[in-house]
Amino acid sequence: MLLIHCPYCKESRDQSEFSPAGEAFIARPKSPEGISDEEWADYVFYRTNHKGNHWEQWVHSNGCRKYFLVERSTISHQILQVAPFGARNSETEL
Amino acid sequence: MRLAQHPSHQVDYSKSLNFIFNNKRYKGYEGDTLASALLANDALLFTRSFKYGRKRGLIAAGVEEPNALVSLEIGGRYTPNLKATEIMLYDGLSAVSASNPNAFDIRAFIKPLHRFMPAGFYYKTFIKQKVWAKVEDSIRAFSGFSKAPTEEDVDVYDHIFHHAEVVVIGGGAAGISAALEVLNNSKKERVILVDERTQLGGELFNEFSSDEAAMTWHKDSVNRLLSFANEDSERFTLLTQSTAYAWHDQNYIEVLETITTAESLTSSEPQKARKIIHRIRAKEVILATGAHERPMLFEANDLTNIMLSQSVRRYLHEYGVISGKKVVIYGNNDSIYSTARDLHVNDIECIVVDVRSSEDPIEIVAELKHSGVKVLQGYSIVKALGSHRVKGVEIVQTKLQGNDWQVFGDTQTLSCDLLATSGGFNPVVHLDCHNGAKTYFDEVSQSFLPQQERDNREVCGAVAGASAWQDAINDGKNKAQFTLNALGTVSKLTQEILSENYSNYFNVSQFFTPKEILNKPKVFLDLQNDVTTLDVALSIREGYRSIEHIKRYTAMGFGTDQGKTGNINGIAVAAELMGIPMSEVGTTTFRPAYTGVDFGAMAGREIGDFFDPQRYTTIHDSHVASGAEFEVVGQWYRPWYYPKTGENIHQAVYRECLAVRTSLGMMDASTLGKIDVQGSDAREFLSRIYTNAWMKLAPGSCRYGLMCNEKGMIIDDGVSTCINDNHFIMTTTTGGAASVYSALEMWLQTEWSDLDVHLNSVTDQYSTVAVVGPNARKLVKLLCQDVDFERENFKFMQWRPGTVCGVDARIMRISFSGELAYEINVEANYGRYIWDQVAIAGEKWNITPYGTESMHVLRAEKGYIIVGQDTDGSMTPMDVNMSWILAKDKPFSYVGRRSFSISALCAEDRLQLVGLLTKDSSTVLPEGAHVIDNKGKSIGYVTSSYFSPILDRSIAMAQIQGGLAKMDETVLVKIVQKKQGLKEIPCEISSSVFYDIEGEKVDGND
Ligand SMILES: [Zn+2]
Repeated sequence: MLLIHCPYCKESRDQSEFSPAGEAFIARPKSPEGISDEEWADYVFYRTNHKGNHWEQWVHSNGCRKYFLVERSTISHQILQVAPFGARNSETEL
Repeated sequence: MRLAQHPSHQVDYSKSLNFIFNNKRYKGYEGDTLASALLANDALLFTRSFKYGRKRGLIAAGVEEPNALVSLEIGGRYTPNLKATEIMLYDGLSAVSASNPNAFDIRAFIKPLHRFMPAGFYYKTFIKQKVWAKVEDSIRAFSGFSKAPTEEDVDVYDHIFHHAEVVVIGGGAAGISAALEVLNNSKKERVILVDERTQLGGELFNEFSSDEAAMTWHKDSVNRLLSFANEDSERFTLLTQSTAYAWHDQNYIEVLETITTAESLTSSEPQKARKIIHRIRAKEVILATGAHERPMLFEANDLTNIMLSQSVRRYLHEYGVISGKKVVIYGNNDSIYSTARDLHVNDIECIVVDVRSSEDPIEIVAELKHSGVKVLQGYSIVKALGSHRVKGVEIVQTKLQGNDWQVFGDTQTLSCDLLATSGGFNPVVHLDCHNGAKTYFDEVSQSFLPQQERDNREVCGAVAGASAWQDAINDGKNKAQFTLNALGTVSKLTQEILSENYSNYFNVSQFFTPKEILNKPKVFLDLQNDVTTLDVALSIREGYRSIEHIKRYTAMGFGTDQGKTGNINGIAVAAELMGIPMSEVGTTTFRPAYTGVDFGAMAGREIGDFFDPQRYTTIHDSHVASGAEFEVVGQWYRPWYYPKTGENIHQAVYRECLAVRTSLGMMDASTLGKIDVQGSDAREFLSRIYTNAWMKLAPGSCRYGLMCNEKGMIIDDGVSTCINDNHFIMTTTTGGAASVYSALEMWLQTEWSDLDVHLNSVTDQYSTVAVVGPNARKLVKLLCQDVDFERENFKFMQWRPGTVCGVDARIMRISFSGELAYEINVEANYGRYIWDQVAIAGEKWNITPYGTESMHVLRAEKGYIIVGQDTDGSMTPMDVNMSWILAKDKPFSYVGRRSFSISALCAEDRLQLVGLLTKDSSTVLPEGAHVIDNKGKSIGYVTSSYFSPILDRSIAMAQIQGGLAKMDETVLVKIVQKKQGLKEIPCEISSSVFYDIEGEKVDGND
């Protein structure tokens, strides 16, 4: 059971308040009709299932209902950092 | 037998308690465990063993006890598989053995067969022969565990959440010392100390009679802790009779607290929570979990009254109880001499047998010899004598040659009525390993010690290898200093000096595993699962090398015991037989839970009405008054049908459906999900997430939409209403409301944050009364005067604001039945009022309330799908013959569109939704039945099936491979009938629109 810090509520709360929402930074292709089946399938189905530090999306489903970004070690389950959406553009390290 | 009173005893001799065990009455004292009280009464038999039906007694005094499983109380307070060593005695307690040792047992009778029951016996005999199903019940009855409860639990259980800076697990010398050190050197840090026993102190009680300093330190320290708990309860929480059974990620620790008192267990009403699960989130964890003694190995080492040496000491010191008069103490480390000294002081005759030769004479041995205790060094026990209870032992001489034990010389016999053994100590590393720590085999202590360095965790005391109690205390202090340092409370560490014997577990010798003993039958490793050294040998012979495989093949370490006393010996035996070092064998994986956790405690208060939220519409009471039967749809209690006196469901649905088709019906549609969509990009948003066009939908109009995910699969459908250009109200399926809402939020927040759209769930804010049938227009005209209801002015798929019986309303002309219908939406609290007004006004048309069952029939007659019933998450719009709803010219590639052109989604043999008409019109197919081709191969299944009253025949929808190209073809549906067995029903594939194919009914007839 993780303890997750919501960057919107600015509170660390129990995992039971949150829902996972998949790997982060999977951008929807800008023009789906212009890409191959393989490229589309890569976006729809394929995920890295990375071992190590991993960016993922969580939603504070029983709280503020905001989606945000979490960097978590899939080995130790330590959460290294959390960030609101859009932070990636302004902060280069994300 | 109970000894004379001594200050070390933790029982109150002034408070006598009565209890019943296996139908016999006994007396004990307050402070006794069930185990100690029975030992004091010389009641030694606890169980029949799992495989061989051998009579067994206690071997331990605590959580590591493998044999003494009992069930406590009866009826609604029955609790199975508790350890007698963990049950605190109370007046009126009643318990029975998990498997009664006194009852006749067929397994004891078939003794000669034992050699045919090696490891893998059940597997080889029954699973392979495919007769397991026939014999499973009778074999499980022998399982050695209590029967499952049959009655509802009358007690209540709680969950409590805590946050703490420091959690100390284990309240022995090290844990007490560590907790005090933290409390004494910090100001506001919250500390929780958890211990499985009622009294703090752990093994320290064993030292009280021989060392007054131990008793003084204990008294002072516990008093200080108690005053912290009483006077500074914000900072310090003491949880006794509480077992930390799991340690999860990020220092999340689960603790089961047991609260058993005579009041709580014998009164008819629940007093307070019987057990509590504490869920603790800690910054720093100090593990002071101690160590479990392991037994020595020899033939017939499972006879009754063969116990662990430190457990014998514990019964003696803590409860004043001893179960023998003539004791042999046997082991491979110095702790056996402490046991001998303590027994000797109490005038109990004892002989010490030490496998180690006397190369390094120690002080206590000389003292014991001087006081007349017989000490045999360089001897080992090869066999215990006796049929049930131990009567003596056979010993031979022993020496260590290099790394190999040699046994030699003549066999001698010693008589005894109690045998205490100590084969070294197993640090309790379970919790540490739950949370990902590793162990390493330490040659000096002959144990798997916890990994040394870890973030946010310290280990101290016996779990870290400490033997002497003074070392445990100092170790606790030292490690607490590290913890304080990690918290930033202490910057300069102070450290106590530890003795040179700090981590050698009383000069333990290497595992005593000579082949001469391992090759004997009935050298038991795991008493709970009857696993012997020969079973381990067999599994190795059969090719199992990994200890994980050996464990599963032999069942060693299974059950409630989880190998607390037996596993490490088993690993040593495997190492010896394979000729590899212990470190190479390693341990099996330690998984939560460390001890059994009651289901009741896991469920806590979330039972009965609190198991799942129940949602009711504001009209609910009226449905109840009308005698409705309800079904649960996504937590909502929806009217299913409204039976009149004497009607069954079929008769009621028949009547309801005909009423709607011929006159007038009404339905509570409030449970449909409603999402308020606002913002300047609301229209754009709808056209991205629905497959059809939304840009031209005018205010005052409604439109049906189909929603897919990016895989191109249908996930929801419903009608959305355009209030104005910046405001829509979307409806979703009742069950899909929450997931659709969160999917929409995800698109807006993670992908389309540039869209000006805001969503809000308004399902609970509106009540919806649907008025359905050819007379619907006449009725709404009666109830609402400020809306023009003429058919050419208020068309199908339009909505109007109006006043219904004085209440502001939005009236939508939409239909899920094909009939003329109006849905009156009002603020939720007016729902009941509007419903009742509609019912009164509709009397002249015999208005008929109908439920979900009739709704399903009516929509199926029209071929309308139900997402989740006719689709299953693998159906595209094309699969359900709804290509008409796919916009071709939307500039934005809406969600799911790109997937439609992937080859797999265009295959001709995909399952497709079609109608199905049985040749015999009275046969109603069961939903889920397989559709088969003429070769008997399944080509699909029935998704919806009803008897249609208006058509006077059965109708069905089915997903059939390539079904849309098979119109009018005959297929078979395979069904199982109760009496006739398998039957194949001939059916014709048809359009899924069965009634009013031209769609003429929707405007009504006036
Ligand atoms: Zn939040």
